[in-house]
Amino acid sequence: MSSKFAAVLIAAALPLTAAAAPESFTVDPYHSFPYFEVLHLGTSSIRGHFEKISGKLVLDTAAKSGTIELAVPTSTLTTGDNDKGSRARSRDEHLRSPDFFNVAEFPTMTYKGTATKFNGDAPATLEGQLTLLGVTKPVTLTVERWKCGPDPRTQGKRYFCGGNATGAFNRSDFGMKFIVGPVSDEVKLWISVEAFRD
Amino acid sequence: MQEMLANPAVQGGLAPFVAALTVAALFAPFRLGGLAVVAAFATAVYFIAGFTFEPLTATRKIIILGLAAPLAGIVIDFAFRPTRLEAWVLALAGAAAAAWIFWPLLAQKGLERALLPGGIAVLATAWTVGFSHSRLAEDGVRAGAAGVALGVGAGGAAILGASLTYGLYGMAVAAGAGAFLLVQMIIGKKTHAGATFMLAAALVTALLASAAMILAQVPWYAVIALALVPLAASLPVSAGAPVWLQALLLSLFGLFMAGIACALAWHAGS
Repeated sequence: MSSKFAAVLIAAALPLTAAAAPESFTVDPYHSFPYFEVLHLGTSSIRGHFEKISGKLVLDTAAKSGTIELAVPTSTLTTGDNDKGSRARSRDEHLRSPDFFNVAEFPTMTYKGTATKFNGDAPATLEGQLTLLGVTKPVTLTVERWKCGPDPRTQGKRYFCGGNATGAFNRSDFGMKFIVGPVSDEVKLWISVEAFRD
Repeated sequence: MQEMLANPAVQGGLAPFVAALTVAALFAPFRLGGLAVVAAFATAVYFIAGFTFEPLTATRKIIILGLAAPLAGIVIDFAFRPTRLEAWVLALAGAAAAAWIFWPLLAQKGLERALLPGGIAVLATAWTVGFSHSRLAEDGVRAGAAGVALGVGAGGAAILGASLTYGLYGMAVAAGAGAFLLVQMIIGKKTHAGATFMLAAALVTALLASAAMILAQVPWYAVIALALVPLAASLPVSAGAPVWLQALLLSLFGLFMAGIACALAWHAGS
């Protein structure tokens, strides 16, 4: 009698075990963007973003663990100033040059992070390594508005997670030292991510 | 003070000029006034990027070569007897330097897209270094005038091609060459330039222009126009004319070609 009871318990627990396994997700490139912000001349904020991103997430809510790997093609950056007008070059062209992102020499920027804190089932803090201009330094991101669930656009056929991760770093730490001062050293980073379960 | 030192005009112009003028005045009696160029370039590097060499980017390779060139120049000037082969060897060394810097970048583009910028970079560097050494290095005024125009041309084209960093390095070379030239104009006598001066000025400016073509947006034909600056600085002027007049005329000849290079860089973005 007791062995039957144990068998029933094990059978009931199996789906839970399966649900607790790490799940992998692929970043949705159409709804995921890394944004950045710097101070210009100590006054106004200049914001820009990269138009493309790719990456993978692995999430295990039961074990409270997760990892993220993102790759950003740096040539896709835009600050909304791509038309040089009467100037020699536009701001976006300048940002792609060796003065800043040096996109010809460093075409990809990456972030590899691990979720170290959870708020319930949602990752709250990512500690990771940002690689920019061939230099790798730690950057911590705070995760907000994290949500997982069936994708309403597909009547729930696909399962997705999404949220915003914010942080900051000093660009000079990565060798981007051009006119630090007039253009702030601190760069605020904001990565919006949506990802579909594989 | 800190704010003043952060000003690009100070970093790429005033500070390099002061450093170069000091070096040119102090070392001219020892036939080493040509070290003015490396003094100016090193000063600009100190203020703009610092002496960090990891990771070894194209810009940092140019800095390494810019700092090493005058040392090689001293060896050439003082340890060897001049030969006809010297200019050819230096031209080949310039070509090898360009290939070392730019090949890793161009290899990612595929042969078809790499051939034109790669070929221009290698040939322009070889020509600028080789011709300058064979025709200008022995004449301090011609060498100085070519250095000024090469620096202004490479710097100006780079700024118009979206890289202020390369622009400031180019202007620093111009400031260094200007200081070297100014000493000669003041004392009214030509001083020794040699490979100590000419190799550094020609190599750095040719590599900066090539880098601005490959990594920023300077068009290839502006790099070719810039490579003609040494030719302009070799045009005949009266040997009996005062040094200041020779310096002025030769600088104007060189700056005319440098102006064409800048104009081409400007119009390329239109």
